[in-house]
Amino acid sequence: MDFLNNLGLGFEAALSLNNLTFCFIGVLVGTAIGILPGLGPLATIAMLLPLTYSLEPVTGLIMISGIYYGAQYGGSTTAILVNLPGESSSVVSCLDGHQMARKGRAGAALAIAALGSFFAGTIATMLIAAFSPILAEVAFLFGPVEYFAMMVLGLTAATLLAHGSFIKGVAMVLTGLILGLVGADVNSGTYRFTFGSFSLTEGIEFVAVAMGLFAFTDIVTNIRGDQAREVTTPSLRNLWLNRREATEAAFPVIRGTAIGSVLGLLPGGGAMISSFASYAIEKRLAKRPQEFGHGAIAGLAGPEAANNAGAQTSFIPMLTLGIPSNGVMALMIGALMVHNIAPGPYVMVSNPEVFWGLIASMWIGNAMLVILNLPLIPLWVRLIQVHYWILYPIILTVCCVGLFSIENSLLPIYFAAGFTLVGCLFWRFRAEAAPLLLGFILGPLMEEHFRRALLLSNGDLAIFYQSPLSIVMLSIAAVMCLVIVLPQIRRGRSVAFTEDA
Amino acid sequence: MSFRLNNMADVEAGLFFTLFGGLTAGLSLQYQMGTIAAMGPGMFPLILGVILTILGLVILAKGVMAGGERTRSLPPRVVLLITLSLMAFAVLVLSVGLVAAVPAQVFIALWASDHFTLKRAIALSIGLLLFCCLVFIYFLGIAVPMIAV
Repeated sequence: MDFLNNLGLGFEAALSLNNLTFCFIGVLVGTAIGILPGLGPLATIAMLLPLTYSLEPVTGLIMISGIYYGAQYGGSTTAILVNLPGESSSVVSCLDGHQMARKGRAGAALAIAALGSFFAGTIATMLIAAFSPILAEVAFLFGPVEYFAMMVLGLTAATLLAHGSFIKGVAMVLTGLILGLVGADVNSGTYRFTFGSFSLTEGIEFVAVAMGLFAFTDIVTNIRGDQAREVTTPSLRNLWLNRREATEAAFPVIRGTAIGSVLGLLPGGGAMISSFASYAIEKRLAKRPQEFGHGAIAGLAGPEAANNAGAQTSFIPMLTLGIPSNGVMALMIGALMVHNIAPGPYVMVSNPEVFWGLIASMWIGNAMLVILNLPLIPLWVRLIQVHYWILYPIILTVCCVGLFSIENSLLPIYFAAGFTLVGCLFWRFRAEAAPLLLGFILGPLMEEHFRRALLLSNGDLAIFYQSPLSIVMLSIAAVMCLVIVLPQIRRGRSVAFTEDA
Repeated sequence: MSFRLNNMADVEAGLFFTLFGGLTAGLSLQYQMGTIAAMGPGMFPLILGVILTILGLVILAKGVMAGGERTRSLPPRVVLLITLSLMAFAVLVLSVGLVAAVPAQVFIALWASDHFTLKRAIALSIGLLLFCCLVFIYFLGIAVPMIAV
C-alpha cells in the first residue's frame, strides 16, 4: 500500500520532537490570534512568516499551516461567545452558535464546533493523502500551454468567488501580475521596473506586500472600532453535549465535511464559501427551519465542519499544481519558494518528507486543537477582552522586526509602509486586495509559461486552443466571465455576501 | 457634475487602474519587445499594462454612468500616523537600536487611537522591549540590535 507507506513517512517526519513543538506553537498562536477579532489568518501568517524562514522547510510549513487551521478554530470561539466573527469564515457560526451561548449552552456550542471541526479535519486530511498523488500524476502531463490555461482559470475563479466587484477583482489580479514582474527577467536577465535600484533586482519582497495590504491596512481600518466587548462566559460544567445534541449534530457534520471538502478544492473556494453553502443546505434540509437563527444545532455543526474541511482541502491544488486558491495559499507558496522548493507536482517526488510531513502534521495539529481548546476556554475568554489599543502596537513591532529579519535589511519595512498607503487606497475604493496577492505570486510563472508556449508554437497563438485540456479550461474561464455580466447572477452574489456585512 | 462624481468608488478605482496600467505600458516600452515567438522582456508587461488600462477605463465609465457605491472614508490622520510609525522604526532601528525604535513606533502608532495616554504608551513600550529582547534576540537569534553603536 503506497498510501500507507507515504503516510508512514509523513508521520515519521511530523512526529519528530522539533516538528511537534512547532506544530504546537503554530496551532496555539493561530488559535490565540483567530480569537482576537480584527486579525485574520492572512494578516497573522504574513506577520509570522519571516520568523519561520530560519526553520527547516518542513518545520516552517507545519507551523504556518498550524496557524491557519488554528485560526479557523479560534475564529469560531469568538463567534460563539461574543457574536463577532474572529475571521470571515466563522461569520455563519455567529448566527446559531451565539444564540446557543445565550441560552446557556455555550459549552455545548464550543464542543460541537471543536469536535465537528476535528472530524472534518480528519476526513479532509485523508482525502488530501489519497487524492494529491492522483492529481499530481495529471499535473505531470501538463505542458506550458496547459499551465498557462490553468492559471487563467484559477485566477478567474478565485476572483469570481471572492468578495466584491468582479471587474475590480480582475484589475487587481492584473495589478498583482505586474508587480510580480519587477526584477530580473528570467529569459534575458534584463532588470525590469527596478528604477536603477539594485535591491529590486530580486523583485519586491512578497511578505512586505502582504503585510502592507493586509496586516497594516487592517490596523488602520480597525482602530476606530476599538471598544470593550461583552462576553458570555461559559461555565465549564456545561461543556459536554447531551445525547439529543450529539445526535442532532452528527449528520450536519458529515454533510458539512462533504460540502467543505469539495468546495475547498475549487480556486477561490475554501473556508468561507463552504460555511455559507453548508448553512444554506442545513436550513433547507431541517425539519424545523424556524429554529435557524435561534440556536439550531445543525446551523452550527454543519458550517463548522464545512469551514474546516474547506480550509484543509484547499491545500490540494496548492501542493499538487502550485496554484494558490486563496490568499493564505498564496502565502504558503511564497514560503515554499523561500526554501527553494518549487511548488507543483514535483514536490512530492523531490521532497516527499515535506509533502507527507505537512499532511500528517495537519491531522496531529487538529487533534492538538481539540485537546488544547476545550480546557483553555477560560483563557481564551480573557483574551477576547483584550483591547485593540494594546494589540496593534504589538502587531506593528512584531511585523517590523520580522520584515527586518528577512535579509537584515530595512528596505522591506519601507515597502510595507508604501503598501499600507496603497492598501488604504484599495480599501477606500472598495477593491479587494486578496486577488492582487494571487496575481503577485503567479506573475512570473504565468509569463514564463506564456512565453514558452509561444516559443514552442513558433508564435502561433492557435496553440492555446489546440490542446483539449487547455480548451476546456479557457472555455470555463470565458464562460465565468460572461456569466458574471448577467445581472441575475450578480444580484444573487450580492445577496450571498451581504449576509456577512 | 463634478459634485456627483466626488467620492464614487468606481470612479477612483478606474482612475487608479488606468493610470497604473498606462504607466506600466509606458515603462515597458523601454525594454526589448522581441517577436511573438521569441518575446523580449518588454512584451508581457506591455500586454498586461494595456489590458489593465482598458479595464480601468471600463470601470471608470461604469462609475461615471451608473454611479454605484461610494468610497469608504478613512481618517487621514490614522493612515499617516500608522505609516509614519513604520518609517520611524525603520529609521531608528539600525541607527540607535530597538531601545529607541520600539518606543517611537508605539508612541506614534498609539497616538492614532482614541485611547492614547502617556502612561499606556510607556507601559506598552517597556513590555514590548522586554518581549523583543527575550523572544527575538535571545530565543530566535535575530540580528536586530538592542543598542546600535
